[in-house]
Amino acid sequence: MPYYPDQRYLLESTTIRRERFLPENVIGRAEVRDGASVNLRDIVARGRLPSPYIIVEAAEFFRLKDPDELKGLMMVEVGETVEFKTPLAQTSKKRQRLLSPDAGVVVFIGDGRIIIQTSPETLDLEAGLDGQVVGVQAGRGVTIETFGGLVQGVWGNGGRTIGILKIEPEDGLESIYGDQLNIEYRGAIVVTRKPLRATGLMVMEDQGIDGVIAPSMETDMLPQVQGGKQTVLLTEGFGSMRMSVAVMNLLTSLAGRQALLDAVQPSRWDARRPEVVINPSGRQTARPPRPNIDLVLQPGTMVRLTRAPNAGSTGQIIDLPKMPNLLENGLRVQCAQVQLLTGEKVTVPLANLEVFGR
Amino acid sequence: MAAERSSTSGSILAADFGNVLTRAILIDMVDGVYRMVARAETRSTADFPIGDARVALLRAADELNAVTGRILFDEHERLITPERPDRSGVDAFVATASTGRSLRTVLVGLVPEVSIASARRAAAGTYVDVVETISLDDGRDEEARLNALVNAHPDMVFITGGTEGGAEEPLLELAEVVRLGVKLLGERQPLILYAGNSILIPQIQALFKGVANLVVAPNIRPSLQREELEAAQLQLGQAFDRQQSSKGGFGELGSISRLGVLPTGQSYKLITEYLGLSMDGNVLTVDVGSAVSTLAASVSGRVTTVIRPDIGLGHSAGSLHDLAGEASIKRWLPFVPAPGQIRSYTLNKTLRPGGIPETLQDLYLEHALLRAAIDTLLHAAAPGWSESVMQVNTPLPPFKLIIGAGAGLTRAGNSGYGALLLLDALQPVGATQLQTDPYGLVAALGALAHLNPEAVVQVLDGSGIEQLGAVINVSGRPAANRTALKVKITTESGEVIKHDVPGGHLWVYPLGVGKHVKVDVRAVGRGLSIGGRGRWRGEVEGGSVGIIFDARGRPLPLAADVRGLAAQIPLWISEITGDPPVTIDESWLVMPEVKQEDEPVAKRRRRGAKPAAPKAPAARRGLFGRRGKTAEPMDDIDLPDMELDDEPQERRKDEDFLDELDQLRRG
Repeated sequence: MPYYPDQRYLLESTTIRRERFLPENVIGRAEVRDGASVNLRDIVARGRLPSPYIIVEAAEFFRLKDPDELKGLMMVEVGETVEFKTPLAQTSKKRQRLLSPDAGVVVFIGDGRIIIQTSPETLDLEAGLDGQVVGVQAGRGVTIETFGGLVQGVWGNGGRTIGILKIEPEDGLESIYGDQLNIEYRGAIVVTRKPLRATGLMVMEDQGIDGVIAPSMETDMLPQVQGGKQTVLLTEGFGSMRMSVAVMNLLTSLAGRQALLDAVQPSRWDARRPEVVINPSGRQTARPPRPNIDLVLQPGTMVRLTRAPNAGSTGQIIDLPKMPNLLENGLRVQCAQVQLLTGEKVTVPLANLEVFGR
Repeated sequence: MAAERSSTSGSILAADFGNVLTRAILIDMVDGVYRMVARAETRSTADFPIGDARVALLRAADELNAVTGRILFDEHERLITPERPDRSGVDAFVATASTGRSLRTVLVGLVPEVSIASARRAAAGTYVDVVETISLDDGRDEEARLNALVNAHPDMVFITGGTEGGAEEPLLELAEVVRLGVKLLGERQPLILYAGNSILIPQIQALFKGVANLVVAPNIRPSLQREELEAAQLQLGQAFDRQQSSKGGFGELGSISRLGVLPTGQSYKLITEYLGLSMDGNVLTVDVGSAVSTLAASVSGRVTTVIRPDIGLGHSAGSLHDLAGEASIKRWLPFVPAPGQIRSYTLNKTLRPGGIPETLQDLYLEHALLRAAIDTLLHAAAPGWSESVMQVNTPLPPFKLIIGAGAGLTRAGNSGYGALLLLDALQPVGATQLQTDPYGLVAALGALAHLNPEAVVQVLDGSGIEQLGAVINVSGRPAANRTALKVKITTESGEVIKHDVPGGHLWVYPLGVGKHVKVDVRAVGRGLSIGGRGRWRGEVEGGSVGIIFDARGRPLPLAADVRGLAAQIPLWISEITGDPPVTIDESWLVMPEVKQEDEPVAKRRRRGAKPAAPKAPAARRGLFGRRGKTAEPMDDIDLPDMELDDEPQERRKDEDFLDELDQLRRG
């Protein structure tokens, strides 16, 4: 039977669809319509972050027999921003005036009550991509389609940045550490082939580097990286792994172009993956095809190996035995014979292979 | 067991959509009884990059077609139902899922100990995350309750309270707060489930008319002495289905399934309940999945279920690490892990949840994680069991049957290994039958139980569940290598086999599936027993492992140091699997060596200073400098345009000094 492997895209040019949704705890709405063209910085959805609600018993204040009478007394509407002591409602002869107990936004008027959400912070959700809106989900956000190069990683620190994609100097990211400002990397997204270290983060801060694409980092750096201002994306995982040759080569070939580093932190509830979207070069008229989601493993397929002892290696499938193989640790699982770029032939469980999307 | 039974179905397609795998089974009548006739398994497709769960079902159907020749979907990818005379299609389709987010739920009720407690028990079989509880005596005013409800951003509000003919006004007051909160939530309206005092149903319906979707179920607490959860549980399951329907493909799947897509966790509860009743004894089922783990137990006729979306071997490996703590994983490792190795392993599992361990160390880590997962589930579940059946110094009450599910348990490479993992983690006492569910049958059959319980009974009695065999365990602390169990086995042919099992060891008598022997076992030694008695006699059935005699003791005397573990764990694996024991390399028993610093002085580059002269290339060992292997020519492979990293994988000097610099900076 065909085996459909995991996919982690590594594509020079492809059509990309991405969702831009407000966080779960934000009440809001989409700000653009289906079919609209959007730019990177356009606001596609807007919402209010959680903050306390205050119930103002207006009908009680005015001693109204019928709560519906309140509507005729209102001086503000739902959605209006009010300050402390802003008049909310008053009787016709201004004998009685109900003042706002706090600054905020009027979110509800009815049943003889006014509800104010105190000074909610507004969250503006940017498109993050130049493209076209191809779907709107009420209250949540939009789906945007664009095209360009695409490199997906495995982990991100939640940051997002736009910059020119640059490869680290020959001596590594840490070699630009020093008192001298090296403007070459200022605002850039730098690719390093070696594991990210604390010194690398300091270099980023010192030199104004906005983002880094690294193969791996040790887990003890997590608090520092998660709390930092710089955007970090890992392509291989945690520990001390070097960057896959295939990933490094593609990023090298795309260096110098503007890129969006969307270092989404993986979550079980979020299908997004951390990735780099690289703007297409020149004027591209025809849309490239979308990645092939029905890829099956077959002899000749280029694959990335994801687990030790060959994690990060790239190779080509040379055989797919029908019977399960016995691994050296005693597990008996369905495997593929893979020839690595070194020429070495290895037997790898199908579950530990990823394809690149084409 | 059945809340909504229809006429008996003929052929049935049952599918369970997991976070990593989607499994489908085809059930049909064979010689007048229901049997699993074929099964299929494929990677789940609800998430990236496909985002459509149906794709996995279609792929599984192709696999079933290849095995049986039966076409299940037409050319427009629509399920053929009912079954046609040419045997294409099926009469019924049922589906369960453990994928997706739990239902964020706010419980609203009058009294925490009564209606809220019943609501929690009703929710236990579903993927419900109780994010807020509002009750009459929570000490909050209306405004505080409103804030709590709105800021919880629920998918569902579950309102209970008032016995039949009991309180009305206080419950209506709470419902008013819910109504106001729902209005503030705008476009993201939660579903309202009402299962309280039935006299209030018209008023509740009027209250939420035009405001939110309301579902009504019979009162879960009709009186203080009675609890009726079944109807509310089905509604909760269908609420899960409704939430799932917004996710790729589940809407369409729900529409072709008789009951929508029900939560897998409910299946474990239903099947455990059924087995507990039919076996007249305690039954435990445990499923350790990638993202969610479930433990259901029928103890003295009472079923409790624990569903934990933070315990798993894949998506939830990171949260399991945090929850269980590193020590509870390390205590099962026969080697000294490098600093950060366990944390890196679990986080990498979270990033690539479907991966399989390839090295021996990774396998030990994986199984350590599995044992820690079950242990954590047990600690969460055990308080819900009746204390009267708990025995002194044993983590479990006696169970007649234990079923393990999830790839980690069912695909350990050897049935004996799977049995050992269950024994290690659960530490059952007395005599127990061990089974595993390699095809995800329990998960898939739960939904069928609502429609056709007869089919469930017959399929479970068939060959769908793997019989590992019976296990007889000694409790207490047996002296090492002194006889702890004296075993006398009488075969069907009358042959008598006698064997002494020394303390600290396992012994397996090989006996195939369906074969029975009479067993007479005595616990020998001070303080030792078999389920509280000195002797156990009975007839037992064999299995793929055989009859297991576990003379290691309860609680399991696990070595406190790595050297002891390196002796115990490979020995136990060998004794139960029959494979030769693995010798743990001496280098595994010490902290992995830290490389000597060749260049200890870390110097910061001065302003304007020139970078260091390029180093001479390091001697290469193979193209990547790995394992000392020499590259072979690859004339026969058409490789893409890729450059090779000509740096050796070994750490370079500059990396070493940067390490030291990092350490200095961290202080």
